[in-house]
Amino acid sequence: MINVIGLGNVLMGDDAVGPYVIEHLRAAYHCPDGVEFCDAGTPGLDLIPFMADTDACIIVDTVKAGGAPGDMRVYRLEQILANAPLPRLGPHEPGVKETLITLHLAGRGPREVVLIGVIPEQTEAWPGLSPVVRDRVPELIAQVAEELQRLGVPLVKRDAPGTADTWWERPVDATASSHAS
Amino acid sequence: MAKVTIDPVTRIEGHLRIDVEVDGGRVTKAWSSGQMFRGIERILEGRDPREAWLFTQRFCGVCTTVHAIASVRAVEHALKLEIPPNAQYIRNLILIAHGLHDHIVHFYHLSALDFVDVVSALKADPMKASQVAESLSEWPHNGYKDLKAVQERLSGFVGQGQLGIFANGYWGHPAMRLSPEINLLAVAHYLQALEYQRKANQIVAILGSKTPNIQNLAVGGVANAINLDNEATLNMTKLYTIRSLFAEVKQFLEQVYFPDVCAIGAMYPEWFGYGRGVDNYLAVPDLPTDAAATAFDMPGGVIMNGDLKSVQPFSTWTDPSFEQGVTENVTRAYYEGDKTLHPWEGETNPKYNPFDADRKYSWIKAPRFNGQAMQVGPLAQVLVAFAQGDPLTTKWASRTLEVASKVAGTQLTPAALHSTMGRHAARMIRTQVLGELAMKHWDLLVNNIGSGDTDIFNEPVFPSGEQRGFGVHEAPRGTLSHWIVIDSGKIKNYQAVVPSTWNAGPRDEHDQPGPYEASLVGNPVADAERPLEALRTVHSFDPCIACAIHTLDVDGKEQSRVRVLGSVPA
Repeated sequence: MINVIGLGNVLMGDDAVGPYVIEHLRAAYHCPDGVEFCDAGTPGLDLIPFMADTDACIIVDTVKAGGAPGDMRVYRLEQILANAPLPRLGPHEPGVKETLITLHLAGRGPREVVLIGVIPEQTEAWPGLSPVVRDRVPELIAQVAEELQRLGVPLVKRDAPGTADTWWERPVDATASSHAS
Repeated sequence: MAKVTIDPVTRIEGHLRIDVEVDGGRVTKAWSSGQMFRGIERILEGRDPREAWLFTQRFCGVCTTVHAIASVRAVEHALKLEIPPNAQYIRNLILIAHGLHDHIVHFYHLSALDFVDVVSALKADPMKASQVAESLSEWPHNGYKDLKAVQERLSGFVGQGQLGIFANGYWGHPAMRLSPEINLLAVAHYLQALEYQRKANQIVAILGSKTPNIQNLAVGGVANAINLDNEATLNMTKLYTIRSLFAEVKQFLEQVYFPDVCAIGAMYPEWFGYGRGVDNYLAVPDLPTDAAATAFDMPGGVIMNGDLKSVQPFSTWTDPSFEQGVTENVTRAYYEGDKTLHPWEGETNPKYNPFDADRKYSWIKAPRFNGQAMQVGPLAQVLVAFAQGDPLTTKWASRTLEVASKVAGTQLTPAALHSTMGRHAARMIRTQVLGELAMKHWDLLVNNIGSGDTDIFNEPVFPSGEQRGFGVHEAPRGTLSHWIVIDSGKIKNYQAVVPSTWNAGPRDEHDQPGPYEASLVGNPVADAERPLEALRTVHSFDPCIACAIHTLDVDGKEQSRVRVLGSVPA
């Protein structure tokens, strides 16, 4: 089983990029057999169920790293584990490393992990990606596709792509209804 | 060699900062401070109330379900909209499964290591550990081979220097007191608990279509089509899968979580003497047994000054004494002015200044009930239910005190529960009650479907003009309330008063401390560089905010900065 996991809070600006990529993958591609696309939010250690029974995980998330907003950084399992684990700040931290180590101690978890990170411009409490991050979404999707191809499960485009359900970006006026009677 | 830094961006919840002053090995003053502005409710203004729950369940990555439930209940209250019985029971089963999951994770994965020395487990004799375990429980996975395997794996881990996962563990700290054998058992159960929290989570996924963000809710009911003969809907196969998952989790609760908490409590008996703090308790009723929510399986009410005889029950979710009693004060919080406002009138006008212990020092407002600070959470839930003679709570509280007393060799009374260890015991007691109620509410759902009722949804209708409502949920971390003002079908104001706000809130206009602050005073701290004992008390509340603990000596010099796990709110 391979899980493609989008991490991040959809209400916090660029932090939504993981779930945003997941919704765009769903809309544009058939999900291959043995693969799942998951918008996991910010589950902290509750990430465990998403990774425990997988052979490989591809994670899309914002990262703090040197570089300009919108830059992509790809990290692999060895790099994620090679850095000494940081003290856990709380159960809300994405906890990718802690999840992997906990699963490892329990004798489980994926053999292969790829973290596709993007440097955010802003993570304020208001929904919507900044343009510089939105522009890089095709690149992030291409990276996911490349990784899946390498793992032997190529993505197949839908004949008629659907609309990505990024409901959190709908403007206020569009959601408020004419249901008042 | 290239250096790679991976440091995911800090999430919405912000950090909890705890400042304590220590004199003569005891905490003399404490401040609890939320370090990040949220104000996230503003996103909801102007939106369709039927969609509010989608947004609110993203307030927090861990407590998603509880914010979704409180939101639909708030809108339904504003519209005076009843939901069908099936919808009520399906929601209840989700809430129970979420609670089981949350409490298992809190005890084993987020707080047990405050009392368990992982490294000491390497010195254990697995045979002796197995004998101790088998004297306490019938659990089939406490055998010599199981424990030996855990010890070997742990040994490999320590050898590779991977202990950082337990970075908050303070192994070797003088306040750690369990024998190597009990430490080994606890590590084994830490790993086994991973399986059982997943089983509880699977139930949420089956009913909610998905976790962590469920998709089956609607204002007016649920979206789980019921057809017992249809593969794609809620059918008997799925219902029986849910039942057997509950049964497996229940066995873990009774044969592992129960004896573990009794044993750890008995071996740290002094922790029944620390951490009392605010002993006013608040809980709302939950798990309604009918569609109109007139009767509940978990009682709510208020206890003042730790006097169980003072209990004032809440008969319904909409008890006027609750509706009118809740306020939030901003005298010591980073907002303009010093007002005390009811949530429907709530304002969010931020005004930041650097941390000032004598004035404003937190982004968290100070919630009050009739002007008093209140403790919420499992201890409040258990005491409020116990004081009203709730049979399941009484049964499990009595068993817990009996077994812990026997292991400790002293007599523990219900008064011991007003404490740091009492909060862990109460959380376990509450979890056992939830485990039993899971079976009851499964029966209620199946019997109702069996009677031919497959209704799941009543259509909401929004009148023109203004409606006000509030929705409550007695969440794993305590009383959660969402307050909504609707104007002609759109959200005009929305405020969430969350459990960690009740507990982690700052002082108020009368300088009354919040529960975290009050509970830390008098707490021992043997080594200010490693304030393990302060963490024990803070973690016992299951804070849904990350913690940054600063320890000050009496001169006010910062001695150490210790970032620790905590657990938003809800």
